[in-house]
Amino acid sequence: MLAKIQWWKWLAILLVFYTVVAGFLIPVPRLPILHESIRNLFFHVTMWFAMMIMMIASIVYGIRYLSDSDPDNDLKAEQCIRTGIFLGILGLITGSIWAKNTWGAWWVNDAKLNGSAATMLVYFAYIILRGSLDDEHRRARIAAVYSIFAFTMMIVFIMILPRLTDSLHPGNGGNPGFGTYDLDNRMRTVFYPAVIGWSLLMAWITEMRIRVKRLERLQDELH
Amino acid sequence: MKKSKIFQLALLLSLPVSSYSQTPDPGSPEMADLMRSNGKIYVVVTVVSIVFTGIIVFMLMLDRKIRRLEDRRSK
Amino acid sequence: MGVLICTGLIKTDNSLIAQQIKYLFLKEIHVEWKQKYAFNGLLLYVIATVFICYLSFKQIIELPTWNALFWIIQVFAGVNAVAKSFLQESRGLTLYYYSIADPRAIILSKILYNLCLMLVLSAFNLLFYSLFVGNPVENLPMFILGMLLGSAGFSAVLTMISAIASRAGQNTTLMSVLGFPVLIPLLMTTIRFSKNAMDGLPWSVSSSLVIILVSLNLMVVALTFLLFPYLWRD
Repeated sequence: MLAKIQWWKWLAILLVFYTVVAGFLIPVPRLPILHESIRNLFFHVTMWFAMMIMMIASIVYGIRYLSDSDPDNDLKAEQCIRTGIFLGILGLITGSIWAKNTWGAWWVNDAKLNGSAATMLVYFAYIILRGSLDDEHRRARIAAVYSIFAFTMMIVFIMILPRLTDSLHPGNGGNPGFGTYDLDNRMRTVFYPAVIGWSLLMAWITEMRIRVKRLERLQDELH
Repeated sequence: MKKSKIFQLALLLSLPVSSYSQTPDPGSPEMADLMRSNGKIYVVVTVVSIVFTGIIVFMLMLDRKIRRLEDRRSK
Repeated sequence: MGVLICTGLIKTDNSLIAQQIKYLFLKEIHVEWKQKYAFNGLLLYVIATVFICYLSFKQIIELPTWNALFWIIQVFAGVNAVAKSFLQESRGLTLYYYSIADPRAIILSKILYNLCLMLVLSAFNLLFYSLFVGNPVENLPMFILGMLLGSAGFSAVLTMISAIASRAGQNTTLMSVLGFPVLIPLLMTTIRFSKNAMDGLPWSVSSSLVIILVSLNLMVVALTFLLFPYLWRD
């Protein structure tokens, strides 16, 4: 039975296991204020990267739905967004805890934080929009249109606006990017596999949800 | 069988990593785990690994259950 | 005049979208002019809100508060304005107009109309605000530019969101839920820009903000232009 589990799922398990072990043991740059919490890079930042990947997947499926009206594409798009929302919430919570520890408060008036909160609100609104429509095709089409809108807003909120204004996050608002001072090559050996691993793991979870929903749909059609 | 192989592979991968350890360096920012690095960090890693393995086992079981449902449906 | 507009629309079936936009835009204004009650209602909303602010604060001494309140009133008035403009169309007439016009012309004309509406509202907002609470703005032309850009942004975003919400059952709650998160960065940038105008800071300080505002506006309009035909397929 285990042989039928796809290769990328095993890769996900391997990479995340590696991240979890190496993330604690690998030597990291010694920086003031951050101290050991820089290891959070492998766990907090990866959540946001995985969320971006999920959202990209969801608009790909959304655009596919708009072009061929296959309800399976809409199903995939919705599940990707749900997983993305879950990752976003995790990112906000972990970021908040990290912030309390290093910046002194649970929430600060920072462009990237506000942008990410606004993004979560936009995607929550997507869920509410889906809930308020009954007709399947109309719901799928309107949700796809809104998700394209939401994704563009997300890119603006999280990537573009923080770079243009003052920000506490590294890489934005005048602080040098993570790459220049503290993402040295040792951390990169864990960080890149971590991003891939966590994203694959979340893709696995999304795929399972999609399969369950497909089965539910078949069940509904029979009755 | 395959799962234990993967586990062995993962353990092998983590061995060279575990040979790194924080050596005390006077005059640099204090790293809170100078004490932990001399033994206790491995407890943390073990605990987290066990938790993670548990979650993965759970997910594999779920995957298997869904696969069974799908196979039954397609018959 | 309605008949004239209809024949105008039918005649321009094969010509540019711009012509259609012009006719649709005139139609919106004409419809509004006949029954002014929607516009007057919005005006009353603005006046009432400004008056409540005055009564609560008596005199706003702090500049950030003045600025923030002004824009919050603007946002709420805008949401109401755009929601009304979509809600008050009767089903049959809507179907007729839109079967003979390009959907992109429809949405652009609506955006333009809402833009004008919001500019008028913001002018009244500023007027009554200054009357009741005082006007500490130092660089008025820049402030007015901020009003223009902000109104354009709000109009574009709110029209698109309202179009989505109207397909989902004409629910004003849904429009607010969908609209506010998307408005947040636009609002923040606009508030910062008008704060700079109020403080009388030189142009160079705010130039990046202007660029952000203009590009945000353009992007939203472009997105709307691309996506609206999909919404309209019914």
